[in-house]
Amino acid sequence: MGKYNILKHELVPAHELLSKEEEEELLQNLGIKREQLPKIRKSDPVIKILEEKYGPIEPGRIIKIIRNNSRTSGIYIVYRMVVGE
Amino acid sequence: MTTQQILVWKDTLKKVSEIIQKAKDSTVCYCVDYDIPSNIKVKEGMITVSGKTFVVRFKISSIKPYENQQGCIFKKKDNPRTCIEISKAEEIQEDIVKYEELSGMSIEKIDTYSILRPKEEIKIELKENPLDKLDPEVKSTYDLALKIGYNLPINICKDLVTVKKKYNVSEKDYHELIKATAEKYMENLVDPYEAVGIVGAQSIGEPGTQMTMRTFHFAGIAEMDVTLGLPRLIEIVDARKTPSTPSMTIYLDEKIRNNEEKARELASKIETTTITDIADLEVNTTEMYVKIILDKEKLKERNLQKEEITSKLKKMKLQKYEIEEDGYEIKITLDEPSYKKLYNLSESLKSLQVKGVPKIRRAIVKYDDKKKEWVIYTQGSNLPAVLEMDGIDFARTKTNDIMEIAETLGIEAARQAIIDESISTLQEAGLHTDTRHLMLVADIMTYDGTVQAIGRHGVSGKKASVLARAAFEITSKHLLNAGLIGEVDKLNGVAENIIVGQPITLGTGAVNLIYKRGD
Repeated sequence: MGKYNILKHELVPAHELLSKEEEEELLQNLGIKREQLPKIRKSDPVIKILEEKYGPIEPGRIIKIIRNNSRTSGIYIVYRMVVGE
Repeated sequence: MTTQQILVWKDTLKKVSEIIQKAKDSTVCYCVDYDIPSNIKVKEGMITVSGKTFVVRFKISSIKPYENQQGCIFKKKDNPRTCIEISKAEEIQEDIVKYEELSGMSIEKIDTYSILRPKEEIKIELKENPLDKLDPEVKSTYDLALKIGYNLPINICKDLVTVKKKYNVSEKDYHELIKATAEKYMENLVDPYEAVGIVGAQSIGEPGTQMTMRTFHFAGIAEMDVTLGLPRLIEIVDARKTPSTPSMTIYLDEKIRNNEEKARELASKIETTTITDIADLEVNTTEMYVKIILDKEKLKERNLQKEEITSKLKKMKLQKYEIEEDGYEIKITLDEPSYKKLYNLSESLKSLQVKGVPKIRRAIVKYDDKKKEWVIYTQGSNLPAVLEMDGIDFARTKTNDIMEIAETLGIEAARQAIIDESISTLQEAGLHTDTRHLMLVADIMTYDGTVQAIGRHGVSGKKASVLARAAFEITSKHLLNAGLIGEVDKLNGVAENIIVGQPITLGTGAVNLIYKRGD
C-alpha cells in the first residue's frame, strides 16, 4: 500500500460496507438476488482500504457506492457485490 | 512504532548466521567495504537476505573507520573501510514494505547500505457521504418528494429550490409543484424493457460517423500528440491495456500552483532522463572500454549533478569493471576482452535511468488560462508513481490510461474515467451525445468488477446464451463447443429468440399473459 489514501481522489466516490441487516433490507426492497448486482473485485484498491477499516471482507458482501458527480442526477447510490478473484 | 533511523544492508545467509552466533557472547566487529558518513546516527540495524524481508535486527554500539583489528567479520574480503560494532543480534521476521528510504529512493534494491525509517501508518478516513453535506433546503425537498412517494434526483431537487426562491412559491404551492414535477419526471423515465442498448449504440454510432470525416488526425497541446477523434473512442470501448498515446495531466499543490519555476522543477523531476540524454557514449572495441562523456550544459538544463550519475553507476553492479573518472568523462574498462560483454554494457548504459518517473518520457509545463494555474502535461503515464510524489494535487491528477486508473483507484474510478474520457473526446469534435448513453456503456464495461471491452474479447464474447454468441462471431466454434459440453440455452435474450422464431423479450414482447382458470 502506498502512502496515499486513494479515497481522496476526485474520481473515487464514497464506498461503504453494508451490514448484514442492511443487505437483507436492500435486497428485499430491490426484489433481486445478491448475484444480480454489479460486482467489485476483492482485489480492488478501494476494497483493500475498506478492509483496513473493517477487517477482512469476504466475497458476497455488498458495498454501497455514493456517486457524487453524476452528470444527470447529482448524487446517485449504487451497490456492488464483492467477488473473489 | 519508533521513528528511529535504521541502517540496513543485504548479505548472505551464511554471514548472517555467523553474526548471530558471535553476537551471543560478545560484541562483533563487522567490516564493510564502504564509508558511512559520521553524521548519520543510527543505533539499530537490520539485514536482508532476500531483499523482501529482514531476518536480523541488531543494536549498534558504534560505527568507526576500519583499523586493523582482530576477530572481525568481513562483508567483503578486500578493502574494508568501516567497522560496525554489533552488540546484540536477534532473528526477526519483518516486512521490508513497512519501511521507507529516508532520501526517498526505492528500497527494492539494497546494494550497499541504506538508512531507513519505519513508514508512518496512514490514517484511514473514509469519504464523507455526500448526502450529509447537502444543502438543507435541497435535502428537505428530497425528503418531501420521498414522502409523497417519489425518489427525485438531487439535481431536480436543486432546480426546484432555485425556482422556489426565484418566484417566491408558498409552502402549499411548493408541495403541489414537487408533486407535479415528480409526475412529469416519472413519465420521462425509460420504460421497462426498452431497448436502451440499441438506442445507445445508435446515439454514439451516428456522431461517430461524422467524426471519421472530420477528425482522423492528432491534435493537442504544444509539441505533444494525443490521440483524438474516432481512434480514441475505439480505444476507450476496446479497453486496451495501454492507450496509443498515454498522457497525464498533473495538477499542482496549492503552494506551487502559481509558481512557474517550482512547476518546471517538478516537471524535470518527473521526466525520465537516461544517460543518452545528457552524455555521449563512446565504445572502444580495441581497448575494451566504454566512455561516458557528460555534456555540461545538458546536465545544467536537467538540474543534475555529476555525482548523481556516478552514484547511479555504482548501483549498476559494475564492481567487476574498472571505473575511472576524469573531469566530465567516465571510463569503464572491462576486466577481460569480450565483445558480448562490451555490447551488453553499452546497451545497459544507454537505458540507464538517471532521473525521473519510469514510463514518463516527457513533461511539459503549461499555464491553464481557465483555471489560472500551472499544470504539467506528460507523455507516458505512471499514475501510482506520480501520485506518491510531493508537490502534486493528489485529488485532481489524472491519466488517460483507463486500465491504470482501474488498477490504482478502483473500478468505480475507472467507470467515471470512461465517461469523462468519451465525453471529452466527443466534445472535442464538436459533437453532443447524451451522457446517459455513455454512462450505459461505462456501466456495462465495468459490470463484473474489471474493465471489459465491448466486443468479442469482452462483453459480447461472454454472453450467457450460446446462440447469441454464435450469432455474433465465429459461429461454428461456439456451436461446436456448446455441443461438446452440453450447454443449455435458456432463451432469455434478444438474439437467441429471433433465431428460434419467438417473440423477443423487449417492449410488449416482454409481457406474458397468464390465463387464470376458474375451476
